[in-house]
Amino acid sequence: MSLPQSLRTSVTPPELELIASQQLIEIIPLIAIEKTAFISGAFGPLQPPRKAQIPLWMAINLKLKKKCHIVAPEWLSVEFLQSRLDEEINEPGFSKLPFRYAEVSKLLLDVQVTFAPDDIQSTDKIRYLLKDLREARQAKSREGVDQINRGELSLSNLCSMEINEIRPFFVHAMGILTHLHRDASAEDQP
Amino acid sequence: MSRSSVSAMNWEAQFKSDTSTLIQSGKNGKSRTGALALDSDNEDQDITMASASESDSARARPVSVAPELYIQDDESPLSQLTKHWMNERHAPDILPAQEELLASLLDHIRRQSEAVQLLRGEPSASEEEHIRIMLVQMEVERVKFIVRSYVRTRLFKIEKFARFIMTDATIQTRITTAERAHASRHAHLTDRHFHNSVLQSLPETQSHLDDTPIFMPPMITKPDESRPVFVHALRDCPPIRFHEDLTLEMKRGHISLMPFSFIEQLLLRGYVELI
Repeated sequence: MSLPQSLRTSVTPPELELIASQQLIEIIPLIAIEKTAFISGAFGPLQPPRKAQIPLWMAINLKLKKKCHIVAPEWLSVEFLQSRLDEEINEPGFSKLPFRYAEVSKLLLDVQVTFAPDDIQSTDKIRYLLKDLREARQAKSREGVDQINRGELSLSNLCSMEINEIRPFFVHAMGILTHLHRDASAEDQP
Repeated sequence: MSRSSVSAMNWEAQFKSDTSTLIQSGKNGKSRTGALALDSDNEDQDITMASASESDSARARPVSVAPELYIQDDESPLSQLTKHWMNERHAPDILPAQEELLASLLDHIRRQSEAVQLLRGEPSASEEEHIRIMLVQMEVERVKFIVRSYVRTRLFKIEKFARFIMTDATIQTRITTAERAHASRHAHLTDRHFHNSVLQSLPETQSHLDDTPIFMPPMITKPDESRPVFVHALRDCPPIRFHEDLTLEMKRGHISLMPFSFIEQLLLRGYVELI
């Protein structure tokens, strides 16, 4: 078939990572590369030690070759994540995080650990915080199940990976409610 | 990334057989197709999908939405295609074909690949140069993956709704000539197969493929417009009316889950994206 069964209902996490790694990130290059035209735009020139903005996938690739240091985004720090976690626990709504925070943080933490633990400060602490955040938010989105009705469900500040996680169940549940309602109103006016 | 590229490779092999019919139907007298197909070796299957002539693409716009209503952000072609890819993956219905966008990206892919081939030949390249070539090559593969996945998603829907496409005029305006030819062949082949294997031995009253029996879903598969989708508002949207007492005005950045039929028009006009 043209589309494998596993891809029909939803997008897969690797595909979301592919999209997320299109985002720009700041690096400190260790090699000099001329300005180059890519399909997504022109990047460079890279001149050590001047900081530059390049797509995440490129940065990760260079990092694995030990050709750059990745500057962690501001939100990927203990202080920021801690404050969001506190907010998550004390406030009813979802706290505001970058839309693709789960993908970006995973990609970045993966390269940090295997190679040099230099770019992101206190990697372990950040891992714990991300996990706590994820669990706190997951609990909230589960509570959202009882708000599903046939009309509309607002999910502000939910992030891409979290949406993907709840998609199968939420879509199915709302679909059933819509069908039930349609059947009922069809019977009203025969 | 490694997983994606592996599946891209598997797709390619399958894709060749899937689209061989499309390639043939696309070649009929379209000079543009001929030119593109000649100088590309491994991408020809992608190109044919995108290669119906300009006059076709003008006709292929949805009737209900004037083209100038579509709000185009200042985005690169790649991020536009990524958006359309995701929309297509999540939408239950077939969305309007993005022929021009696809053609320009495929063109770009070919130019980049040619440049890489050229630079590869130079023996005196430095280490920096190697890394540069590798990055360009890598990006080409990433873009190819997105293009393939996008085209395959459409192909999947076209095969699924093939019979419906043949009976419905509005959905035909959203697909390319090559896609329509494929739908027609697919519908025809399955019909003939069912007829030869089973239906011809059944009584006349039971040998049709388009019955609408009571208490049963109709036999022709239609897109389920009421399937809920996750929408993300790209700008402030005009209010949506669900029923008498419920309207919703989505502000920029708003994320919501609702049936596809409510946001279809906003999606076509570029106010929202599916996530």
